Amino acid sequence: MLRQRSIFYLPRRFKHKKDHWSVVEKKKHPVDRALSNFDDFYGSVFGNRWRGIRAALLTEHKYIALVNNFGDTEKTCEELELEGAINVRLLYNITKERLPNGPSREVPELGKGSVDTKLRGFIRQQEEQEIASIYPKSAEEVAPSLAEIQFRDEHQTQNIAQAGEHVDPKKSLTETIKEDSEIDLQRIVDPEYGSGALHDFVPANRIKGMEDWIPESEHYKYYSNTTDFPLAIEPEEEFIFPENLQLYSYEKGNCSLFAKPKKSQTGVLTHFLMDGASVLPALLLDVKYGERVLDACAAPGGKSLLMLQTLHPDIVICNDIQESRTNRIKRIMDQYLFDYEEKWHGKRILITQGDARVLEDYELYDKILVDVPCTTDRHSLMENDNNIFKPSRVKERLRLPEMQSAILTNCLRLLKPGGSLMYSTCSLSPIQNDGVVHMSLQKVFSEYGITTTVKDLSRQMKCFGHLFRFENPKNLKYGQMVLPYLPANFGPMYFCKITRNE
Amino acid sequence: MLKRLQIYLRILRFNSTITKNSHNIIPEDSSQQWTLEQSQIDNIVKSVPSLVNVSTDIWQKAHSIFTEYGFKTKSFTQIVAEHPKVLTRPTAKISDSLEFWRGCQFGENRVENLILRYPELLEISNNRKILSQIHALKSLVHTSKNVWTLLMNSPNLIHENIKTIEAKFNYMHDIMRLEIPEIVKSQAFSYTLDDIKTRHVFLERLGIFKPRSPKAPPGEISKNPRLHQIMDSTESQFATKVGLVTLAEFEAFKELFKRELNRERNKRSDESDEDE
Repeated sequence: MLRQRSIFYLPRRFKHKKDHWSVVEKKKHPVDRALSNFDDFYGSVFGNRWRGIRAALLTEHKYIALVNNFGDTEKTCEELELEGAINVRLLYNITKERLPNGPSREVPELGKGSVDTKLRGFIRQQEEQEIASIYPKSAEEVAPSLAEIQFRDEHQTQNIAQAGEHVDPKKSLTETIKEDSEIDLQRIVDPEYGSGALHDFVPANRIKGMEDWIPESEHYKYYSNTTDFPLAIEPEEEFIFPENLQLYSYEKGNCSLFAKPKKSQTGVLTHFLMDGASVLPALLLDVKYGERVLDACAAPGGKSLLMLQTLHPDIVICNDIQESRTNRIKRIMDQYLFDYEEKWHGKRILITQGDARVLEDYELYDKILVDVPCTTDRHSLMENDNNIFKPSRVKERLRLPEMQSAILTNCLRLLKPGGSLMYSTCSLSPIQNDGVVHMSLQKVFSEYGITTTVKDLSRQMKCFGHLFRFENPKNLKYGQMVLPYLPANFGPMYFCKITRNE
Repeated sequence: MLKRLQIYLRILRFNSTITKNSHNIIPEDSSQQWTLEQSQIDNIVKSVPSLVNVSTDIWQKAHSIFTEYGFKTKSFTQIVAEHPKVLTRPTAKISDSLEFWRGCQFGENRVENLILRYPELLEISNNRKILSQIHALKSLVHTSKNVWTLLMNSPNLIHENIKTIEAKFNYMHDIMRLEIPEIVKSQAFSYTLDDIKTRHVFLERLGIFKPRSPKAPPGEISKNPRLHQIMDSTESQFATKVGLVTLAEFEAFKELFKRELNRERNKRSDESDEDE
């Protein structure tokens, strides 16, 4: 009976395995984090419309087919038409003819839009929540107005005078600290006796050990309203749909699928399927014949492919930051361009790997497409892998606007005077969209003296109204946005065209 | 204070209606409730001409069976008008099926209501199979009264495969986290599991329906729309009143979600193939 069971026996607290159902149920995935974040933020920005957008984001999205000009073009077009798909170019031209010449958008008054007020309210609420989460018990005491504090101070000094040494055990921590600060003054430690280290802690204005902690509300402060740069918004002139571009899509409400791409006679694939909204920025950048184009964050290469399929650009430079991503571009180009290695590589396409923030070919490009890394709303809600809402990527996520703005600022400098740039994100967040554009325009003016004109595309967007659902331009400062909508489940996609003044 | 007054008034009104009704009942000829007169037969024949040739004898015979089981004459006439086959069916079979329904222990009035609403229930023949079905239902929803409410709402349950019923029940109970009284009071069982899933997932993705926390106290009122609001409404009603979106959005969702379900099913069957 006294036999020892095992010499290796170690008493250990019982713990469930990681795949136990109770652990699995409690686990909060990045997808859930993203959803609750969006519910909070977009719920306050979009109000009642958020519900519909939410359902659309969580449901399968819709594609547009880009027909490859280098293999079986006519046959593919015919097949797609038999399936009931509509040629986007024909639809655009017909709608454009019928559209009356209405007034274009007026320059909105900054700081007075409904989004601005909503955001301000949201930021205040977020800050209060964060303070409350750090100082749970005395949360209401942290945020009182100045007058209140003064009043309370006077009141307290009187109290102290009256009560003398009386100690109230029910007092909260902040109150006690405030009172004790009086006592602290009375016993100042003489610095001669080496108490320098004490000053690290007193007065306490920061939490020790959390120096690089960024509160969530910091992220929303990138959205500013002050304008101290010349802001010009002009309606975009004529946009001519490229003759050689064959795009096919289904109308609103038709959720049919496209056939999978097949190999054509020339060995390249017949068509490329991409999210419908990604077509718009590349299309409306309006690349003309013989122009030099930069796609600053190109992977996976769909937008570059679309620009190449118009057969207009002289050369397209596809840049991305990681090798794995540039490899993806290479693979797609190889699949879709006939004789890629001999005729295209290095001649009409250049795939480079570099950080778009530090590219230095200033004033070299006619057109630049900047599809910046963003919270990729649809992706963040679907995939747990490499999700930006992972706890380990918090800092990266909160500082996204900073990075986006740095990329956009640098790309504006790469533009030839008179050239134009398309900034796009696949996020609904006003901070990453209008906020970043605003920040960059300001920076580019104050630091490099570059003045720009924002092009208003709302007239062109009306011609696409049969396929997409757009955000009302009144709610946006600079750009246009495709909203996810179940019958036309494209997007989200924000894009803004900026021209550098000569 | 005001509320208490309202409640008091309501009780007063309720009592007065009871006394009124009892006054009405007593002076009425009690025999009239249980006898079938020629004028009543003529009335039915007017609306159902195919019964012209049925002799008064058969009418009275059928009527006497029903009254034996506590059915009022008024109910009998309604049943015949709805379901004329009752008269041509052998009396023994009718009494058999009535005996069977009485044996289910729903309560006298409830059986009458059930047969009144669905006179086709008298046509049953395979009693043993249906009895086992009712037992299975009872094991799901616990009480006979709940089984009766279920049958009143979705009579198809008598002939549906118990596995599909269980699947629906488990979905509503475990995934939607609804309680039995709420499940029973809707017509959800008349729909397929995919229909239920579609409406539920649609609301979930809209952010309107959130499953109750498993630790919430059982009587707590949730903000979710009730199951009967979700299931017992037409598509346009559901989309605009419950989901607060347009019908077009719900229709698109139905199509997309059907594809999603199919994809999931294919994936699962592929996986099971690999396992084998």
